[in-house]
Amino acid sequence: MKLRFSQIIQIAIGIGLAVLAVMLFTGQKTWFSEDPPIEIQPNLDHQFRAIPQSPNSFFADGKSLREPVEGSIARGAQPYQLGPGDIDAAETANVDPKLPKTEFVLARGQNRFNTFCSPCHYYNGKSENSAVSKRGWAGIPDLTRPETAALSNARIFHIISAGQNLMPSYADKIDPIDRWAIVRYLRTLQGVEGVASNSPVASTATN
Amino acid sequence: MFSRKFDMGVKVGGAVVGGVVGVLFLLGYFGFRNDFADVGYRPEQPVPFSHKLHAGQLQIHCQYCHAGVEKSAHSPVPTTQTCMNCHTAVKAESPKLKLVRDSYETGNPISWVRIHKVPDYAHFNHSRHIRAQIDCKSCHGPIEEMGVVSQAKPLSMGWCLDCHRNPEANIVGARPISGVFTGKVHKMENLLDSGYIFTPIKAQVADKASLKPLTVPQYGGYDVNLPKVEVAGIPHPKVAGVGPENCSSCHY
Repeated sequence: MKLRFSQIIQIAIGIGLAVLAVMLFTGQKTWFSEDPPIEIQPNLDHQFRAIPQSPNSFFADGKSLREPVEGSIARGAQPYQLGPGDIDAAETANVDPKLPKTEFVLARGQNRFNTFCSPCHYYNGKSENSAVSKRGWAGIPDLTRPETAALSNARIFHIISAGQNLMPSYADKIDPIDRWAIVRYLRTLQGVEGVASNSPVASTATN
Repeated sequence: MFSRKFDMGVKVGGAVVGGVVGVLFLLGYFGFRNDFADVGYRPEQPVPFSHKLHAGQLQIHCQYCHAGVEKSAHSPVPTTQTCMNCHTAVKAESPKLKLVRDSYETGNPISWVRIHKVPDYAHFNHSRHIRAQIDCKSCHGPIEEMGVVSQAKPLSMGWCLDCHRNPEANIVGARPISGVFTGKVHKMENLLDSGYIFTPIKAQVADKASLKPLTVPQYGGYDVNLPKVEVAGIPHPKVAGVGPENCSSCHY
């Protein structure tokens, strides 16, 4: 059968439309683009306002986020005042809220421990097989050894908050109440009840 | 009445014009939808950070870097300090990390390219969704499998409402890798089993029978019997529920 020119064109257009329709209606997009998405109304999508962590031409340094005024504390923030070396002062400064040992508190402690501590100390606190130790960071202390288990809650809270040796401070990432929940959970990993918070302990343990 | 040639011209011309108009209509109507305009946006980042390595292989939880997503509407892009928590010792000399080290020394932030964005006239609050135990994957796709992150979901209003109306069909339940708090303790032997974290958890909502609207669809009206939002100062995860559908929930 011989097709006429017009029929060929009509068939071609029909096939093209069918393919396009199938692509548009059913297909998950499988191609990637480095170009920003097309916006029909860009000035509605991007209004001139300060968005966290976004550039802002209004301020001289080009950032939307402003530095807090020297010496000011954000509303509700509880900055940790002690430095890494003030571990003895921590005994009296950090008052253990004595969270109940309920499943909820342990779950919160485990959740925060697994999130923030496990990259170095692993899920069981033994610091082996963790992401960082497998990548060649040697000498991360085992949290379940007796020396660490003997530390008071206040000291462990201090170490989380201020850091120690190569460990940085996590005060900016973990709320104080969550740090106490981590301490409570760590005690279950260590299998000890834990020393009451403000009691003085022998300062033999340095790690 | 018309010549054969003219008749042919009308037919061909009509087909061509009709086809072009049809294609333009389809492109315009569907091509600007977020499913096609936004999904697949994969910009090059200044530092070749791989979520596939950090979250996928090393199993660092999402919230280690994106800490504060529980408390804030904005999910923070990690500070350079966060990178340097590990990279002071791990791969400390890597040339790929030069920008990170420079940023750490000068204090100037790295100019990461933003991928996911809802329009400025719609307000999305991360903390509400995280505290409703919704996994990051629900909206961002399997980030831990992406070497270079691309947008996986359209983030359009219709897509939001799909979930708000029918969460159990669309939501990925909280996975341990995300660090989403569920109020439940995981067994240690499960955590140490390396297969655990990426066991695919199908769309799940804790208890379907407990699903009830937090708002009446049109004009709000919060359920007064919601559980306490805090226990001993710790933010309590919300029970599963249907998201609000009233306009002013997001457009305020």
